[in-house]
Amino acid sequence: MNTVMEATAPPVVHSEPRRPWAAVFALARFEARDLLRYIPVLVALVVYIGYILWGLLSEREGMDAFPALQDVDRGTQSAPFLLGIALLVCVNRAALRSRRRGTDRHFDVLVMEPWRRTVAHVLSVVPFAVLTALVVLGEFTWEALKPGAVGHGSVAELAVGPLYVMLCGALGVLFARLVPTVFAAPLLVLGLFTLSVFVSAGTSDAEWSRWLSPVVGENSTETLPSDLIGRPAAWHALYLVGLVLLAATVAVLAGGGRTWHVKAGVAGALALTLTGAVAQSGGVSPELTAARERATATPEKEQSCIRHGASTYCAFPEWTGRTGTWAGVVDRVQALAAGSAAKEQLLVRQRFDATYGLTGDTTIAPLTAPHQVTVGTRWGGNRVPEFAAAVASVLVAGDEAKGGELCDGRMVTVMWLALGGAADPIGDLKNVRLDDSLSGSAIVLAPTNPLSMSAGQTSVTVELLKRPRAEVTAAVKEHWGELTAPGVSTAQVARVLGAEAPKGADECEA
Amino acid sequence: MKGVEGDRRVRGVSGALVWSVGRTVPWRALGAGAVVGLLLVWLPRLGDGPPDPWLALNLLRGAALAFALGLAFLLDDPARHLTVPVTTRRWVRTGLRVAWVAPVAVLWWTAVLALIPEQARPPVGAVTLEAGATAALALAAAATAVRLADEPEPGPSVAASVLTTAILAGLLLPHRWSLFVSPDDPRWEAAHERWAVVLAAAVLVWGVCGPEPLRRGHLLRRHPRGAVPGSP
Repeated sequence: MNTVMEATAPPVVHSEPRRPWAAVFALARFEARDLLRYIPVLVALVVYIGYILWGLLSEREGMDAFPALQDVDRGTQSAPFLLGIALLVCVNRAALRSRRRGTDRHFDVLVMEPWRRTVAHVLSVVPFAVLTALVVLGEFTWEALKPGAVGHGSVAELAVGPLYVMLCGALGVLFARLVPTVFAAPLLVLGLFTLSVFVSAGTSDAEWSRWLSPVVGENSTETLPSDLIGRPAAWHALYLVGLVLLAATVAVLAGGGRTWHVKAGVAGALALTLTGAVAQSGGVSPELTAARERATATPEKEQSCIRHGASTYCAFPEWTGRTGTWAGVVDRVQALAAGSAAKEQLLVRQRFDATYGLTGDTTIAPLTAPHQVTVGTRWGGNRVPEFAAAVASVLVAGDEAKGGELCDGRMVTVMWLALGGAADPIGDLKNVRLDDSLSGSAIVLAPTNPLSMSAGQTSVTVELLKRPRAEVTAAVKEHWGELTAPGVSTAQVARVLGAEAPKGADECEA
Repeated sequence: MKGVEGDRRVRGVSGALVWSVGRTVPWRALGAGAVVGLLLVWLPRLGDGPPDPWLALNLLRGAALAFALGLAFLLDDPARHLTVPVTTRRWVRTGLRVAWVAPVAVLWWTAVLALIPEQARPPVGAVTLEAGATAALALAAAATAVRLADEPEPGPSVAASVLTTAILAGLLLPHRWSLFVSPDDPRWEAAHERWAVVLAAAVLVWGVCGPEPLRRGHLLRRHPRGAVPGSP
C-alpha cells in the first residue's frame, strides 16, 4: 500500500506545476471587485466621475472654451483626492478582514504564502488607478480637442492623479500590516493630512517640503508658456512611483515576505524615492530664470509675428494659432471708429511677467510706444472685452500708457468702441467693470493698467449701448474729431451723440 | 447580574450591568481617537510665532473629527448575537455606553480647548456645538449601522463613512450652506444654526435607531437566510 502511494503520487505533483502568481492575480481580481462593495469607495467613485463630467459638460466661464493644456494637465490632479482616501481606508479594512474574522490561522494551511496575499491586496488597487488614468486622459483629451486649446500637456503631470490613487491603496495595505487594528486607518489619514499642512507651513513652503506632498498646486492663476513653468513634474512622478513601490514592498516585508527579492525591492524603491525627492527640490535653475527674464523684458526676441489685415500680431510660439481670434476683436473695434483710427496699423504684442513663475499673480506695465496693444496669455470670457477696451483706448489716446490716464469725455468713445460691436454689450460692460455694476464710477479692467469710468461716463455709455447700434455708429463716425479731441467733456460728448448730459463735471476738469 | 436574570419584568440598571457594559466599551479605539485629537491641537506648539486663529479653529475641528472617528466604534459588540435576547433593552445598554463615554469626552474636550492658546481660541460655545454635532453624527451613524445590519462590529464601516462624509461636506457643500466658516465671516451665525440642525437630526436618528427591532429588516443584511442570529 505504502509503496503504491509513493510510486503514484509524484507524477500527479509534477504534472501540475505550481503557478503561485496566477493565484495572486485571481485574489487581486476578487479583492478589487470586493472593494466596489464598500460604500465609501462607491460614493467616492460616483462623486469623482460625476464631478469631472459636470465640469466638462457645463461651461461655467467663457475662458473654459480656450484652455491652455499646460494648465489643464495640472488641473486633473486634485479631483481624485476623495477616491484616494476612500480607497486607503477600505483597502486597509480588506487587508485586515481575515484578522477581524479570525481566519488568519486557516490561511497557514494554504499553499499560498501570507505575503502573496499582501501583494494581491496592493494589486487590487490597480484597476482603480487605471480607471483614474482613463478619466484623467478623457478629461485632457476633451480639453485638447476644443478648437480654442493652446499649449502642451505633460505626461508626468497627468500621471500624478493615478499615482496618487495607487499610493493611497499601497499606504492602506502598509498600515494594515504595521498597525493591525481597524480603527487606525481613519485616524492615520487625519494625522497625515494635518502633518503635511504643518510640514509645509513649518518650513515656510520651502521647495523641498512643498514637493513632498503627492499633489502640488500653484498659487497663481496666470498661464505661462510650458517651457517657463519650471515644475519638476517628471522628477515628482518618479518620486511618487518610488513612494508607491516603497509602501508596497515594505508592506510585503511586514507581511512576512522575507526573501532577498523583497529586500532588494525595498532598497530599490527607497533609492527611487530619494532620487526623485532630491531632484525635485532643486528649485528654479539659472537657465530658466534667464529664459523667464528674457520672455518678460524682451518678448519680441522670442515671438513670431503674423499679419492679419492692417495690423500685426506677435505671439509666443504656443499662441500663434490664436492671433486670428485677436484680429477679429481688433477688426470689430476698428469698424466702429472713423478717421485715421479706422485704418490705424496696430501692433498687438503678447506680454506677461514670468519673473516669479507661478508663485503669485503679477501685473505688467503698459506699453509707451505708439499704436501698440498688450494681450495676455488667457482668452475667452472677460478677457475679450478687457482686450477690446485696451485696443479702443490705444486707438483714441495713441498709446497704452496715455489710454490708462483718460478721464475726460473720450472715455465714453473708448467704451463705445470696445463694446459697441459685441454680441452682448451691456453684459460685457458689467463684466469688464471691477464691481460688475452698471451705474456709478468704477474701474475698467484691461490687460495692463486699468481704465476708470466716472458715474457720468457710465450713464452715457449705458444709454449709447442700449440704443440701436447703426444709429450710434453713424453719429460717432460723423463727429469723430470732436469725440476724440483731448479735453472734451463728457457733457459735450453726450450732447453730440444725443444722449442725456450728466450733471457734474469730469474728475480731471475739477 | 441580578438585574438581568431572575424575574420576567425588565429591571432597570444595576451596578453589575453598568460595570459589565463599561468593560465592553471599545476603550482602545476611543483612546486612539482622543490621543490623535490631542496631538493635532498640540502640534502648533512645536513651531514658534503667534498662533493663527483660523488654523486653531480647523485643528479643533480636526480633533473633534478624530474623537468622532473613535466614537464610531462605540456600539461595536463582538457578542452582539448573544446580547440580542437579554432582557435589558438595547437602548438602555447603548445609553449606558454613552453615559460611560460622556464624562471622558467632556474632560477630553476641555483639555483640547485648554491646549489652544487663549488669543487664538475661537468662541468656545460655537466650537463646542460643532464638536457635539460631529460626535452625535458619528453616534447616529453607528446606531443606523446597528439598526440596519446584522454586523456585530460595524465600527470600521461607520468610521470610513464618517470620514468620507466629513471630506465631502468640506468639498461639496455650496457656499451658502457652508458649515466650515471662520468667526469673522458674516455667515458664522447662520452656519451654527445649521450645526444645531445637524445635531438635532443626529439625535433624532439616534433615538429612532435605538430600540431593538421586533423584526429584522432585510436591508444591508450580510447573512443568508438561516444564519440569522437566534436561528439554529
